[in-house]
Amino acid sequence: MKISLSQRICFFTVTCCLLFFILISSLVWSLQQVDIALSRDRDVHQVNNYANTLKQLIISDSIYADDYSQDKWLSSQLKLINLLKLIPSLTPQQQTIQNSIHSQNKNIKLLFNKMLKDQFKNASRAIKTHFKMRLITQLEVIRADLVQFSSLVQQDIYTVIKRQALFIISVLLVSIFFLLYGAFRWTQIFRTSLNEVKSAFEKNHSGHFQKIKLSYHSNEFDSIVHEFNAMNHKLSKTTVSLEVMQKTVEDKTHILEQLSNTDPLTKVANRRALYQRGNLELSREHRTHNKLTVMLLDCDYFKQVNDQFGHQGGDDLLKHICKICNKEIRDINFLARFGGEEFVIILPNCDINGGVEIANRIQSSLAKNPLIIIKNKEVVNVTLSIGICTLSNKHKDFEQLINDADKSMYQAKMNGRNRIEVSGGYSLH
Amino acid sequence: MANEKAKIIIVSILIKLLTLELTTLTIKFTLSTFIILIIIVTTVLLYSNAQHIWPLEKYSVSIAVAQSPLSAPFYVAKSINAFDNTCVSVEYNDVIGGQSAFAKVMNAEADFGTSSDSIIAYESLANKPFVTHAMFVQSDNDVKIMTRTSVKIESVLDLKGKRIGVTKSTASDYFLSTLLAMDGLSVEDVELYHYKPDQLLKAFTDNEVDAIVPWEPHAFKAATLLNEQVTMLDTKNVNSLGFHLISQRSDNLLVVKAACVLQGLSSAINYIAQYPEKSKKIVRDELKLTSSFIDWVWPDYIFKLGLNQSLILNIKYQISSDMGNRNANDSIQ
Repeated sequence: MKISLSQRICFFTVTCCLLFFILISSLVWSLQQVDIALSRDRDVHQVNNYANTLKQLIISDSIYADDYSQDKWLSSQLKLINLLKLIPSLTPQQQTIQNSIHSQNKNIKLLFNKMLKDQFKNASRAIKTHFKMRLITQLEVIRADLVQFSSLVQQDIYTVIKRQALFIISVLLVSIFFLLYGAFRWTQIFRTSLNEVKSAFEKNHSGHFQKIKLSYHSNEFDSIVHEFNAMNHKLSKTTVSLEVMQKTVEDKTHILEQLSNTDPLTKVANRRALYQRGNLELSREHRTHNKLTVMLLDCDYFKQVNDQFGHQGGDDLLKHICKICNKEIRDINFLARFGGEEFVIILPNCDINGGVEIANRIQSSLAKNPLIIIKNKEVVNVTLSIGICTLSNKHKDFEQLINDADKSMYQAKMNGRNRIEVSGGYSLH
Repeated sequence: MANEKAKIIIVSILIKLLTLELTTLTIKFTLSTFIILIIIVTTVLLYSNAQHIWPLEKYSVSIAVAQSPLSAPFYVAKSINAFDNTCVSVEYNDVIGGQSAFAKVMNAEADFGTSSDSIIAYESLANKPFVTHAMFVQSDNDVKIMTRTSVKIESVLDLKGKRIGVTKSTASDYFLSTLLAMDGLSVEDVELYHYKPDQLLKAFTDNEVDAIVPWEPHAFKAATLLNEQVTMLDTKNVNSLGFHLISQRSDNLLVVKAACVLQGLSSAINYIAQYPEKSKKIVRDELKLTSSFIDWVWPDYIFKLGLNQSLILNIKYQISSDMGNRNANDSIQ
C-alpha cells in the first residue's frame, strides 16, 4: 500500500500524541493512586488514633463506675465506623484487613454494650477484668491490623511509583525509538528521493532525458516524478542534445572538408587541398630547412585516349594514374589533381634526386601496368611527362614552385614527352 | 539450583546480546543498535520484575485439616492452587475435629494440623511440645444459647432456675459459665443437664430442657428444625473461637515449610475477601454443606492470618476457670 508523506507525518504525529497522551494519563492515574493511598494512610492513622483513644478510655476510666459517660466512647466508635466506611477500592490484602477491623469493631461495640448493662455490675471482678482485657486485646488487634494496613498502603505507594517509573521509562523509550526511527526514515526517504530527482535534472542538463525511478514511493514524490517523466518523454522526442549536435556538425564539417579537398573523380586531393598542403610544407621547410621537391605530371596524349575510349575511358585512365602514383610514393608524400590530366606530388624531405627516382618509378610502373579497359578488352598504354622542381631561395611561395615545376613539365613535353625534366637543370630523358 | 541455572541462562543471553550490540555499534547501524538497546533494557526490567516466576524447590507437606467451615482457607487454597507458587506441595489429611488433627501432628502422621483455642489451651497444660504458627480464622459466635420461645427467656437473668442442656467439659460448658458470670450468676443458679452434642436437639424437643448451648452445626440444625420454637440470645463476642495452624516443635526446615504454607493460606484468605460468594461455594462443595448453613455461619467468621494476645487471653481465662482440667476430647472443634 502506497502511503503519502503527509499521511506518514500525520500517522507519526498521531502516534506521538497518543504515546504522550498515554504518558500523561498514566501520570494522572498514578497521582490518583498515590493520592488514594495517601488518603488511606491518613485514614488509617485517624482510625489508629481513635482506637488509641478508646484504649485509653478503657484503661483510664472505670467503665463499670456509675458516673461513667459512654458518650465519648460511642462518639469515638461512630467516627471509627464512619472512617472504615470511607476507605475505597481496596486490594485483596487490604480488604482482608478491613474485614477484620470491621468485624472486630462490631464485636467491641457489642461487648461494650453488654458490659454497660446494669446486670454486668453484679459480675465478679475476675469476669470484669477478663472482659476489660478482652476489649483491650481486640483494640490491640485492630491497632495491629492498622499497622499492617499502613505498611500495605506504603507498599502500594512504592509499587505505584515503581510501576509508573517503569511505565514512563518504557513509553519514553518507545517514543524516542519512534522519533529516531521516524527522523531516520524520513531523512532517508527525502534525501534519497531528492537525490534521485536532482540526479535526473543533472542528466537532463547534459541532454540525457531519462526516467526517474524512485527507491521510495510516496504520493508526493511520485506525482513530481510522473510529471517530470512525462516532460522528459516530450523533450526526448523534440530536443537534440548539444553533444549530438556537436558531433553531427563535426561529422558534416569533416565530410564537407573532405568534399572540398578531394577531387570527386579520382578521390585524391584537389587543387585547393594541394595549395593548403603545399603552403604547410613550405612553412615547415622554412622551419626545418629540409628539402622540398614538387613533381608535376601530365598524361601524354590524353585527348586521344578520350577520343578513342570516351570520357569514361579518360576518367578510368586518370584514376589508374592516381592508383599507380599512390602505389609508388611514400606516406609522407602528397598526391593531388592539379587540373585536367595534370597531377602534382609534393615530396617533403626529398631532394631533386629523390624526386627523379620517384618519377622514374612512376613512369616505369605505368609502363609495366597499363590501363586495361575490361569492356573492350583493350590495353591503354600511356606515358607521363614529368617536371620536377626543388624549393630554392628564389621561390617566394608555393605558387612559384609549382610554376617552375610546370615549366619543367612543359619542357619535357617540348622535348618529346614521356620524359622527366628538372627545373633549372638537366633533362633526364 | 533451578534458580541459579535460570540466572546463568539470563546472564549468558545478556552477554550475547551485549556482544551483538558491540558488533552492531562497530558498523554504526543506528536503528539496529537502538532496537537491541531496547531489548536489553526490557530484558533487564523483566528479569528484575519476574524473578518470582522461577520454579522453586518443593517440599512435600501433609496437613491434618479438621473438617469444618472454619477450615475454609485450606479448601479455598486447594481450589485456587494457592500453594503452587510456594515452596510446598501440600497434601490434606481430612480428620473429624481439631483434636484428631492435633493427635495426627503429635504422632508425626502429619506435618501440620488445624486446632482450636480450647485444644491448644488443654494441650499446653499437658506440656506437650508443639508450636502455634498462626491463627487463620476466628469466630465470635460459634457457641450459641437457644431457648424455648414459649418459656420467654429474654435475657441471661431469665435463665435463673431454668433447665439448660450443655455438653460437659467443652466450649459449651465454658461458654455458659462465662455468660452467666457476666450477669452475676453462676452454674449453681441453673439446672445443668449434660448431653452429647448431637443429643442436645433431641433433649430440647423432648422438653427435657428449657435451653440448650450447642455449637455449629448443631445450632444451625436446631434453628432450622425448630424454627420459631427457639429463640437465640445475642451472645456474640462473649466467647471467641480461633483456628490455628500447629506443628510439632519446629526446626529450621519446618519453619521454612510453615512460612510457605502460610503464604498459600494468605493468598486463599485474600481470595476469600475478594470473592466471598465463590469461596462459600468452594467450602459448600468440599464439605457437602447446604448454602443456608454456610450463609448462617459465614458472617461470624473473621478470616485473617495473625497471632495476637486473644489466644493467650483465652488460654489464661480457660485455665483460671479451671477449664484446663476438663476433658476436651469431646470437643469436635
